[in-house]
Amino acid sequence: MALSWDPAPLRVQSAADPAGPRHRAPAAGEPVARLLAGPRAAAGPESLAAHQQRLGPLELRERTPAELRSLVAESGLTGRGGAGFPTVRKLRAVADRPGWALVVVNGSESEPASRKDRELLTLRPHLVLDGAVVGAAAVGSDQVVIAVHGEASPWAQALERALGERDRERHGSPSIRLAVVPPRYVAGESSSLVAFLEGGAAKPRPGRPAATHGVDGRPTLVLNAETVAHLALIARRGARWFREAGTPGAPGSHLMTLVGPHGAEVLELVRPQRLGDLLSDRGLGGRLPAAVLLGGYGGAWVDGAEAAELPLGRDRLAERGLSFGCGLVGLLPAGRCGLAETARLLAYLAGETAGQCGPCRFGLPALALAAADLARGRATRREVGRLRRRAAAIAGRGACHLPDGAVTLLDHALRVFADDVERHLRRGPCQDAGAPPTFPIPPPPGLPGWR
Amino acid sequence: MTRLRVDPLRCRGHGICVLRAPDRIELDDWGFAELDGRPLVGSIQLRQARRAVAACPARALALDESAPA
Repeated sequence: MALSWDPAPLRVQSAADPAGPRHRAPAAGEPVARLLAGPRAAAGPESLAAHQQRLGPLELRERTPAELRSLVAESGLTGRGGAGFPTVRKLRAVADRPGWALVVVNGSESEPASRKDRELLTLRPHLVLDGAVVGAAAVGSDQVVIAVHGEASPWAQALERALGERDRERHGSPSIRLAVVPPRYVAGESSSLVAFLEGGAAKPRPGRPAATHGVDGRPTLVLNAETVAHLALIARRGARWFREAGTPGAPGSHLMTLVGPHGAEVLELVRPQRLGDLLSDRGLGGRLPAAVLLGGYGGAWVDGAEAAELPLGRDRLAERGLSFGCGLVGLLPAGRCGLAETARLLAYLAGETAGQCGPCRFGLPALALAAADLARGRATRREVGRLRRRAAAIAGRGACHLPDGAVTLLDHALRVFADDVERHLRRGPCQDAGAPPTFPIPPPPGLPGWR
Repeated sequence: MTRLRVDPLRCRGHGICVLRAPDRIELDDWGFAELDGRPLVGSIQLRQARRAVAACPARALALDESAPA
């Protein structure tokens, strides 16, 4: 089943979700959801009253910014937007700079198939807002911007409502406002957000980290929405509690989005889990997928035969040279053609170039066209060779990671689907070449599209 | 250790640099400067690189004396 870009209401599976199928009470020692704990997804956004009753008040007054930063250091929290950078290093980089600090919560989640941040913002807006308060306190800031895609989206509405609830009882907490960023793939990069919040186009600026080259020159802390939600719980329950989930190498729970023929589902990994176990727990264990797309559209393909053994855990994947990225696990159903899907994803990525750097602006469309030719059985061996050569030439030469991601995806596709490459070269197109995509492809944005 | 660097936002593919520093600069299939990022070796390469930097109409090239990124 193809997913539409308009996100359908998602079923959030959590330990406290009695409506979920195959639900059973967690046994002693069994992982319990953290970010997704609480009322079930169908109940909608959690109100301030319910949130405070469930988790208790957020008490920060006794703690200095330096104490909060030490707490985050002890927790070992890393960024959940994709790169997995230690959060405390960002906090310190901003706190060490003189000037009026700004906090930007990145809820834009530009990966088209990822749902975890949107889901979190929609269902647990106060958890994210609490975390934003913690982040602001840790760098001595009194101003927070929450960046999201989609003006009238459920998450923007949930946040507006949550901010309204808080307005009535604010005591010296930071001011928090929403910013709606244009729906472009690279608009969610932190330097793009900074450019956008300065009034410019939401395009990446290389070599200008937000901490030192922030909005209007201010030291700017940009944190992913899930990262921020973890801060809200770490401030309440402590660093040791946080480390009880996850592994020493990747502490805490991790949200992920499972996308497949069954739809999209946001899950919370409290412990690393084999993909095979995760699928059979959800009744999806039957037939192995043709392949798994891991980490995002600029991520890696994993062969379906190896998919069951894939350890879903940031550090475990890193040991295999794979990145969990934004936590996307996409199942390409058995029988579908990975090359055709790659060609569609590349066409999307090529259309998302900001047009700033030549190798990306001209190179990505060239890669996308060549990949489409290959999927349609029109490519020659020489053209595949040129495709490989060009991919290698483009990698690492852009202002942002868009071209690198596209090249990573293509590299994996040519390796994992090597047999299919051979088949397409010899026998021409497969019936999947013109089929609708398995993973959602957003429609092209209207012009100008960057503001 | 001196390296030649190109700012991808500035490079517009004029292609003059490759005439000035043919040993260390190539143009990709679309005419944009492609550098290998390795240190410049010897006075000839350094002189070529300086000429390439000076010749770039987009001021996209620079000599980088710092440690490798």
